[in-house]
Amino acid sequence: MAGTSQISREALLDRLSVQSAAVQESLRKLPKTPTLKDLAGQFAAGFRPLFPGAGVDIAHRLSGAPTWEFIVKSGAPDAERRFSFGETEASHGSHETPGCLAFVHPLSDGSRVGLALLMNAPAGGYTEFDLASFRLFLHLYDQAYQEMLSRKNEKGLVFSMNHRILQLNSLIDTGIEVASLDFGDSPHKLALVRAASLANASRGIVRLTSGGEVRETHTFPEGAAVTVSANRITSSFSFSGDTYAFELFDKESRSGPGPFEETDQLLLDALARQVHAAIENRHLHQQALQNELLEQEMNVAAAIQKKIIPVSLPKIAGYDIAGVNIPSKSIGGDYYDCIPLRDGRYALVVADVTGKGIPAALLVSSLHAYLSAYLEGEQLLADLVSRLNKVLFRASTPDKFVTAFIALLDPATGELECVNAGHNPSYVLATDRTIRELRFGGLPLASFDLDIPYTSEQARLAKGERLFLYTDGVTEAENERHKLYEEEVSITEFLAKHATGTGEEFIARLIADVRRFTGSAPQSDDITALYLHRLP
Amino acid sequence: MEQSFSLTSELRQNRLVIVTSGYINNIGGEAIAKEFDKHFANNVKEIVINLEQSKVVNSIGMSFLLEIIEQLHDVQGKVVFTNMDPAVEKMLTIMGLFEFAGKAANVDDAMRSFS
Repeated sequence: MAGTSQISREALLDRLSVQSAAVQESLRKLPKTPTLKDLAGQFAAGFRPLFPGAGVDIAHRLSGAPTWEFIVKSGAPDAERRFSFGETEASHGSHETPGCLAFVHPLSDGSRVGLALLMNAPAGGYTEFDLASFRLFLHLYDQAYQEMLSRKNEKGLVFSMNHRILQLNSLIDTGIEVASLDFGDSPHKLALVRAASLANASRGIVRLTSGGEVRETHTFPEGAAVTVSANRITSSFSFSGDTYAFELFDKESRSGPGPFEETDQLLLDALARQVHAAIENRHLHQQALQNELLEQEMNVAAAIQKKIIPVSLPKIAGYDIAGVNIPSKSIGGDYYDCIPLRDGRYALVVADVTGKGIPAALLVSSLHAYLSAYLEGEQLLADLVSRLNKVLFRASTPDKFVTAFIALLDPATGELECVNAGHNPSYVLATDRTIRELRFGGLPLASFDLDIPYTSEQARLAKGERLFLYTDGVTEAENERHKLYEEEVSITEFLAKHATGTGEEFIARLIADVRRFTGSAPQSDDITALYLHRLP
Repeated sequence: MEQSFSLTSELRQNRLVIVTSGYINNIGGEAIAKEFDKHFANNVKEIVINLEQSKVVNSIGMSFLLEIIEQLHDVQGKVVFTNMDPAVEKMLTIMGLFEFAGKAANVDDAMRSFS
């Protein structure tokens, strides 16, 4: 090993100041070199004029690296053995062999630079001054190296910061894109592409499974083999029985694939959440559209049904008649009417179809149409109801049936021909306030087609007597405590108690009493009633 | 969805035109850099990179593109990117690639921008 120099920095600078312009130029450029290759090249260019004819080797060894990496090579043999004296990380200094003076110098980041000057030593050997010159040059090399590293770090930080901005920007853009309802492609496919590229994944996959069965698979890049790797991140969510599972593999870097960072997982989770929200919103939007369509259909059906329910009842000489129909939904399943017949009689009808909405409205419409048509002909009421049962049975679904009370009134005599098809009883209120029930007939309409005959019941409404027909929406009206109206009020007692006044007044009292009972509870069923008073 | 990477290149009036296809990641970026190095060594200093078939670029791919831009800038050369998808153009803008690189609608426009 050569000895250490005691020469002053000023003396060395005086000596260097007289060197060639090429040396000065190289030293000026040295701190601005962008790469290690440029740095070593510039250094060699500044060094060579000081030793004309000498070969120069410059090698670099990172901390922990097994071998020297030669950056400037003289081409002379045995280059690899030139710095063997500096194998350990702590070893540095100089070593002189015939035709070669080699230095190993520690650099500020823990790496080392090796410099070899390939020439015979001057006569009398290298002086302390020569060795000090070499070491000073190596210090200049280290300073330039530090500046190069600092610039590289600065560029790396700017790049990294820009990448973070890019990630945030893409996250916002992706959120907007996947939320777009006219977005034609699958949102999970777009999210996979964005997640893979923003997290620098080598490849990725998203699987859509339903009930354990894979319905869709998308890979990125398209067609890439999805080899499983320990370097992976995953994120998944489930919605409406579908599970979306994202996987990214092998984070890329310039030095090869490696594990993902925590921020990559956050990014993937954020993108998966955006897809989740978009799918959920799309589902809700579709539901809203369907509801809107259904509401439009309901409005049409309600308009049709309003035409079926009479706006006003016919005036019957010697009688006072009143009716009411209050549907619990926009389309109810109750029906009532008073239809004048060609023979001077009147058909009084109250019916209740199971269910509500469009299916119930269709059955009410059928009941109204067939009943009106059949009443045109002359036949016994029981036969008419049998025919009605058959056609309604064919026109309805198995879960639908109709209870009905139909009475044919001869206004001149007060004679009533009645059929009760599974409906709650109708009542005749006598002038002495006694009540007769009308309950005979048969099964509800449209429930069976078994040719079981309907029977009719004859009754007579004497002067001053009243007939009351209603649906169970009256007696089974519920209050907030889910109690039924009939549990508190007997409809027959109510009928007897209010056996004065007009039909309109009776109906108004009844509805008011039901409302009193139900309070703020929503109306649980359609309310329909028909009241006929044979005037004294 | 983005395919795996491939590229083609040609020399037009001593300018290198590279046409990429697929994901510009580590593999894609390296392939572009290799193609560039080959011609840069022959003193080709004006480059056009047509990105029409590359809709996705990751940051590793962008680091290769940045190096090409820097190398050309050091020798008063220039790179012009063309046919970019708006998302790719936005990415390259955010990453600062257009500080020293140009952009053009297509290769012909890029060629004219050199003269």
